[in-house]
Amino acid sequence: MARRIRDAWRAFRDMYDALYMAPYRSQIHREYARQRDLFLLLTTSDLLGVPNPVEFYTLELLPEVMEQFHEWHRRIGLEQPPDGGFRCC
Amino acid sequence: MTSPSSLPDKPIVFFGGKGGVGKTTMAAAYALQSARRGTRTLLVSTDPAHSAGDMLGLRLGDEAREVQAGLHALEIDPEAEVERYIADVKERIRDVASPRIMDEVEHEIDLARSSPGAEEAALLDRFAELMQEAGAGYERVVFDTAPTGHTVRLLSLPELMGRWIDGLVSRRRKVRSLGRMWRNVAGAAAGEAGRDDDPVLEALERRQARFSAAREIVTDPARTAFTFVLTPERLPILETRKAVAALRRSKIPVAAVMVNRVLPPDAEGAFLARRREREARYLEEIDREMGSLPRIRIPLFDSDVQGREGLSRVIEAFEMNQEGRRSDR
Repeated sequence: MARRIRDAWRAFRDMYDALYMAPYRSQIHREYARQRDLFLLLTTSDLLGVPNPVEFYTLELLPEVMEQFHEWHRRIGLEQPPDGGFRCC
Repeated sequence: MTSPSSLPDKPIVFFGGKGGVGKTTMAAAYALQSARRGTRTLLVSTDPAHSAGDMLGLRLGDEAREVQAGLHALEIDPEAEVERYIADVKERIRDVASPRIMDEVEHEIDLARSSPGAEEAALLDRFAELMQEAGAGYERVVFDTAPTGHTVRLLSLPELMGRWIDGLVSRRRKVRSLGRMWRNVAGAAAGEAGRDDDPVLEALERRQARFSAAREIVTDPARTAFTFVLTPERLPILETRKAVAALRRSKIPVAAVMVNRVLPPDAEGAFLARRREREARYLEEIDREMGSLPRIRIPLFDSDVQGREGLSRVIEAFEMNQEGRRSDR
């Protein structure tokens, strides 16, 4: 009896998760990824060949964000980084 | 006509002006006078011509050197500052990147070296650092700056760059809070977003704090005074007018104007009499335009101002202004 209640509860929770939580989760992730990538582009625009007024200062962030630049162009479907910019691969 | 003119008396004093008007001489004389009066003073020169060292009779370097009791001096080389910063970034990248990537990045970074504003940005960092010295290691810091345009742009940099950095900081914080939200709902699937520390945000916040401190100091009339040096000639007057307006727009307190190389009354001859007439008109123009500011006049000397003895003559001229008497009356 206890086991049946437990299984029913689990099934209900999974259904709830799929119906409500999953779309909510992917919405949050979408927004997070969008802001993350936007920030990356703002600080590494010189790697894309776009002039950056605070280039001198964003230079010191390069060691940290370099790897993310590579992940970014793979993620948006570019095998190679955009022409005119930094050749990471 | 003109009332007794007082020299600026603040912990941080900038000397600006067109190249060749005697800015370095005035800054050095002012710093020397300050030290003689018992105020522990640091003279900072960014003059690419190394005149400050020549004037004081010793070679100046990046570290403060004692000139005499109460007076230290140093010279900042903007190019060297840029190099140092770049070398540091490269070193940090070398730690994390493969040799091939390193080559690529090196190329990118080298481009930044010559980007417009790189030298000013590096200089600003150093200035911000040194401004903190006033009230710490020294009671007064005197900045002898590079020719006008650069200085005005440099001093308005904290405000401009500050806004951009503020934007980046708030974006980064937003990314972090979204990352935290994601972590909360995704649990183990979160991965990278799960980091608690953020070296990028830390670096940006450090910059932001530095700019904000610099901005505050440079616009505080209780702490900072900007002195313009010019000669009674057409171009210096034009340039000073523009520069004063630009500084005021950025809320940087202009405290005094020094008119250098004024013909002394004992300089004789018809030729000089004609020059003196011309000069009188320029002096009038200066008095008219900068009437609200203390104006200090320094005479043209019969020899180059060199060494402490030369600077002492300039200091004498300062004192005559302060006592309300001037050699040109």
